[in-house]
Amino acid sequence: MDEWYGYTGKILRVDLSKNKIIIDDLKREWAKLYIGGLGFAAKIMWDEQVPLIDPLSPDNLLIATAGPMTGTLAPGSGNIFWAFKSPQTNFWGETRSGGKFGPFLKFSGFDMIIVKGKSEKPVYLYLEGGNAEIRNATHLWGMTVHQTTDTLKREVGAKDISIATIGPGGENLVKYASIMNDYDRAAGRSGGGTVMGSKKLKAIVAAGGYGVRVYDPEKFISLSYEAENAIISDPGNRAMGAHGTVGGLMGLNAMGGLPTQNFRTGYFDKARKISADYLENNYMIKRRACYSCTIGCSRYSYVAAGPFATPPNEGPEYETVDMSGAMPMIDNMEAIIRYNYMANNYGIDTITLGHTISWAIEAYEMGMITEKETGGIKLKWGDAETFLTLVDMIAYRKGFGNLLAEGSYWAAKKIGKGSEDLVNHVKGLEFPAHDPRVESKFLAIQYSVGPRGACHEHPIYPSYDMMGVDSGLRDVGLPWPLPDRLEEVGVNRGKAYRVIALYGEVINSLGYCNFYAATNETGSLSPKRLAALYSSLTGFNLTPLQIFEAGERSWNLKRAFNLREGLEKSHDKLPKRMEIPILSGPAKGLKVEKPNELLEEAYEGFGWDKETGYIKEETLKKLGLDDVADYLRKINKLK
Amino acid sequence: MVVLLVKMLMAIPDRCTGCGRCEEACSFEHFNIIDPSLSAIHVVRLENEPLDAPTFCIECGLCAMPGVCPENAIYRDPNTYAVIIDRNKCDGCTNCIVVCPYGVITLDHIEKKAVKCDLCGGDPQCVKACPEGALAYLEANDAAYYKRYFFAELQKKGMVPIVPYPSPRTREAI
Repeated sequence: MDEWYGYTGKILRVDLSKNKIIIDDLKREWAKLYIGGLGFAAKIMWDEQVPLIDPLSPDNLLIATAGPMTGTLAPGSGNIFWAFKSPQTNFWGETRSGGKFGPFLKFSGFDMIIVKGKSEKPVYLYLEGGNAEIRNATHLWGMTVHQTTDTLKREVGAKDISIATIGPGGENLVKYASIMNDYDRAAGRSGGGTVMGSKKLKAIVAAGGYGVRVYDPEKFISLSYEAENAIISDPGNRAMGAHGTVGGLMGLNAMGGLPTQNFRTGYFDKARKISADYLENNYMIKRRACYSCTIGCSRYSYVAAGPFATPPNEGPEYETVDMSGAMPMIDNMEAIIRYNYMANNYGIDTITLGHTISWAIEAYEMGMITEKETGGIKLKWGDAETFLTLVDMIAYRKGFGNLLAEGSYWAAKKIGKGSEDLVNHVKGLEFPAHDPRVESKFLAIQYSVGPRGACHEHPIYPSYDMMGVDSGLRDVGLPWPLPDRLEEVGVNRGKAYRVIALYGEVINSLGYCNFYAATNETGSLSPKRLAALYSSLTGFNLTPLQIFEAGERSWNLKRAFNLREGLEKSHDKLPKRMEIPILSGPAKGLKVEKPNELLEEAYEGFGWDKETGYIKEETLKKLGLDDVADYLRKINKLK
Repeated sequence: MVVLLVKMLMAIPDRCTGCGRCEEACSFEHFNIIDPSLSAIHVVRLENEPLDAPTFCIECGLCAMPGVCPENAIYRDPNTYAVIIDRNKCDGCTNCIVVCPYGVITLDHIEKKAVKCDLCGGDPQCVKACPEGALAYLEANDAAYYKRYFFAELQKKGMVPIVPYPSPRTREAI
């Protein structure tokens, strides 16, 4: 019998409609072709998802998956990935979270959970030692994330467990609800919690009881410690650990790249009051880390008293700080910490939530939204109380909150009057707090072609031209140096972005955190390190290039999935605001130059058709995805 | 004269971020698989309070006292001074777990035998795996310096004394 190393070799299939559980074996050939994590998820979604369904219908699959490296001593491997059809975009939805749920999924004996169907009554899943059961969760329905987690911990009793759950946001089908795990870790974007809520699946409890095995223990442990020491001694990683993601806020503000006033400008004059220093000196108690992490970027903070008093909780991260700070012009760190706590406890994505409210404020200012729609609430910049009131209203879909719970993209469609032009989104997913007008041009490409919409982290944050680091990607074909000089030497930006994107796909498939890929070769999980760690853990010998080929496979599968769902080139378009120069601040006058040219370069780099964005047959054939090519030919989406 | 430099495992809880790498390394060293429930070191995290604390055996030797282990499977290693459970003799009676004041002896879920820190024969893997320097393997005299601080921490006065002081009159009566 074939033994599994690194992988647990088991897939849990849950049909909530039939109240049935099946435990499947993992196919061995998949390990080499798709590696794991989101690679497996892409394969399953392509093979099993019914095309063109409503994302909130019982047919939608909800996949929770951990990579082969997850739950081992490989640094930064403590991640859980979720995949589904997104209710926000109606395209591919994926989201990642840290904490310890991913490792505990593995310690419970599963690489992956595939949930389909819809339960009549609220239920939760209990996993332990390779077994699973569906349990009643009627008593948990309506509880916040913290209440649910506390209650379940008491119920399970004397065991170290990890819990992923949705809050009222997911239950009330707020379109951008997140799946929360271990209290404050959020798999926020693209509406995973909404899908989970539509299935009446309240929580998943992973209780351990299984050990992950290692193929070559001595080699693996020495490689892990080598990587750990290299990562710890890198100054970039140390800064990330010391100041967290919010550490870069003042730098971005100085560049004019701190999204402010719903992306009207990139400079917030009161940024000092929402900076990392201000947080650390006044509200932060300690640092925290996800499982098996050697960086430890998480903040743990509280507000002792006052109108925004908040119990100690993890966060806030940079994205949250910007979306509830600079975007609505709130210069109050206490309100931001409170906002972070509320959004996490309700289980709502802090990025889309803050972004949507900021959009509403701008639309209100311009007269597109009036007091008739808001029910008498006056919206204005910098009003922390109203901002937090709206968070409450959105979580329970009360009054004006019912409209905003759809997200700015869908709300603008209902409102009309030109408010669509104020929405910063691609495919319906709002921008995170990174401005492609100011930052890397690769970011503009990524926002356009990213399978889940505008995202700075999926597949990866393109830190190469922003920070001038290569993470060892020269070995796998990244032209160097980057990028201003690219045009001088005649290198195509699309080709360069291809390598960067595939690196992200690989990281997501193996189960790593993206922050381990943002420094130069010596201090990051370079392709060489990835391949060596993977081979010694699993016993499948793959070279860096083979791993990148697997990354390309999942990248194209996600594209094919989106094409099957009706994607056209028009969906890959940046919003109008990106072509309007920034109004003020240090980056005044900057805009995304020739976005169409950028997009076409990217298409060419990926082996997609320049005119339509469809995948070329030769690209799919080269990757051995002939069945995908056949399907796409049938629906006339192959070139 | 031969000087035996005995070392001691110490935690600096302020530094711990709760990443759990020590748990992974411990189970990996002793069982060759990665499963934190088999570990002899556990990071206790409180969610509503700022506490991530590595908990492990301080080698006090209570479980090695005569009469605790019916199989006489527990002894003190003369080199590392670690209290060791001979897993070949252990029958899983849980007596040692009862006497352990810190809850750091556990039964493993595979063989149902006691698991306890053995200091990895003088090379603790948890110390190697800790990215924050929150665990240290120190020479006894250095460790004593830090131990005094932990002891002092226990005597810190709160706003309201936890144990009521005996009143002067009671003292007179004694």
